[in-house]
Amino acid sequence: MADPFDAALDLLRRLPPSSTSENLSGIIALRPDLEEDLLSSVDVALTTKRCPKSGRDYLCCDYNRDGSSYRSPWSNEFDPAINAEDAQDLVPVGRVRRMEEALNAAVDVYRELYYEGGVSSGYLWALEEGFAGVVLFKKSSAANGAGKGGWDSIHVLEVAESATKRSAHYKLTSTVILDLGLKSSSVDSLELAGNLTRQTQQDLPLGGLRDADVEAGHVANIGRMVEDMETRMRNLLQEVYFGKAKDVVGDLRSIQPLSEAEKDRAAHRDVLSKMNR
Amino acid sequence: MASKQATIASFVEAAPPGELSNVVADIKALASSEAQSLEPAFKKYNEEQYTTVKLPGSAEAVLVSEYNSLGNGRYFDAVSQTSFEIDHASQKASGAQQHPLESSHADLVRSLQKAFAAASTEHFPSSTIGVFPTSSDSAVALLLVANKYSPQNFWNGRWRSTYLLDPASNTLSGTIKVDVHYYEDGNVRMSTQKKLELNGSSGAESIVRSIAKAENDFQAELNRAFTTLSEGSFKGLRRQLPVTRQRVEWEKIGGYRLGQDIGGGRSK
Repeated sequence: MADPFDAALDLLRRLPPSSTSENLSGIIALRPDLEEDLLSSVDVALTTKRCPKSGRDYLCCDYNRDGSSYRSPWSNEFDPAINAEDAQDLVPVGRVRRMEEALNAAVDVYRELYYEGGVSSGYLWALEEGFAGVVLFKKSSAANGAGKGGWDSIHVLEVAESATKRSAHYKLTSTVILDLGLKSSSVDSLELAGNLTRQTQQDLPLGGLRDADVEAGHVANIGRMVEDMETRMRNLLQEVYFGKAKDVVGDLRSIQPLSEAEKDRAAHRDVLSKMNR
Repeated sequence: MASKQATIASFVEAAPPGELSNVVADIKALASSEAQSLEPAFKKYNEEQYTTVKLPGSAEAVLVSEYNSLGNGRYFDAVSQTSFEIDHASQKASGAQQHPLESSHADLVRSLQKAFAAASTEHFPSSTIGVFPTSSDSAVALLLVANKYSPQNFWNGRWRSTYLLDPASNTLSGTIKVDVHYYEDGNVRMSTQKKLELNGSSGAESIVRSIAKAENDFQAELNRAFTTLSEGSFKGLRRQLPVTRQRVEWEKIGGYRLGQDIGGGRSK
């Protein structure tokens, strides 16, 4: 019998991605023992919350969550507040928080340049060696003649620094959830929804000897890796959503009558064989 | 909260084309005791998805639908004039019996069957059709299912056409549904449907011609819809490059703030 956790992931990879949240709840109701593992490994569309202190929006995921409270990257405070003892473990301080602030400022610029709107958030936490983090983007467009759309990207990072702090090893797992839909009189409804996940690893140098330089180096390295990955995944999404899906429909049914297509092919072969004569 | 039984039934009914057995294996690994009584969900899946089965001792595929259901797990095939039983879980047919076509539209059913079969091979490289008298013999159903499975390349697709002809008024109403699933390191699903009303054709040849034309028009519109989404909402979500046409200079990212008004996700 297959491992239940693997079976749950396989099932979520097959069932309609537009219902991943509902299906995830359904699987957890069947197998409450898998709840924690599933919530930390299945990406669902991000939700937005308003930071009461800064008035700015931020994104919520399993990594800035404690129970039903979420930590704002702008204020570094949980909303609703959590007890002081838990906060001690969950609220980053010192170096990690400094890098988190710089990362949020940097991806904010990146977001404006690439998304021209939307919401971004970055969260970092210390590991025994090195640190880990997540960078999130969300952008939605309301339904209009060109359709409705939603993009959620989730970039999970693990960073291991070399002993000398002259370089670091970065492991990035990125998921983009892309939901597109169109309603019109000519096709009634077209839904293109889903998610793709890709991984990459890189060793990158950290310039400078001062702590501040190393910290700035991490932020730049993370930013560049996220930028490369998002650009690569955007091209991949374009291929899968608009190339592959359309090709499969064309494989199922041909607009051109198949007998004509066969005649065209025969004529083409004829031309080729005459050229080769 | 839905019951566990309702939850797993919904998983079965939402299984992508060609992946029912994978979905069922996952369900069994997750909830083996609840997975014992999936029969109604299998029946619903098979009837809605036009599952095809081979008749015992025959190479011909026959599709299963609510339109050729006789109840008690039995269905009929108008071409071979046979009825048969389906095991909905294994999708196997057995217990074939003679089932003479009894319909006041028997001639029409036969000529539609012939014309629709011929017309479908002109557009579908592989498909199964069925023409059945239905609705207490007041209508004729024309059904088509085309599947293309490529699990080694992580994609599967299904096209379903459903048309109901009212022979008294020669009106034809129908639905086209297309499903595509792509799942290499991800899960992408395309689903589309289109309702059609086709009037004024009479005679089998003319009816199937109007179907082929309507399906061609739909497919051309669908191709245009892909372009609309690609050029429209997809482009509007994330740019390929910033307006500056240059990648971000991460070392100088602080400097970007000086010359630009960064909105910063502040709600408007």
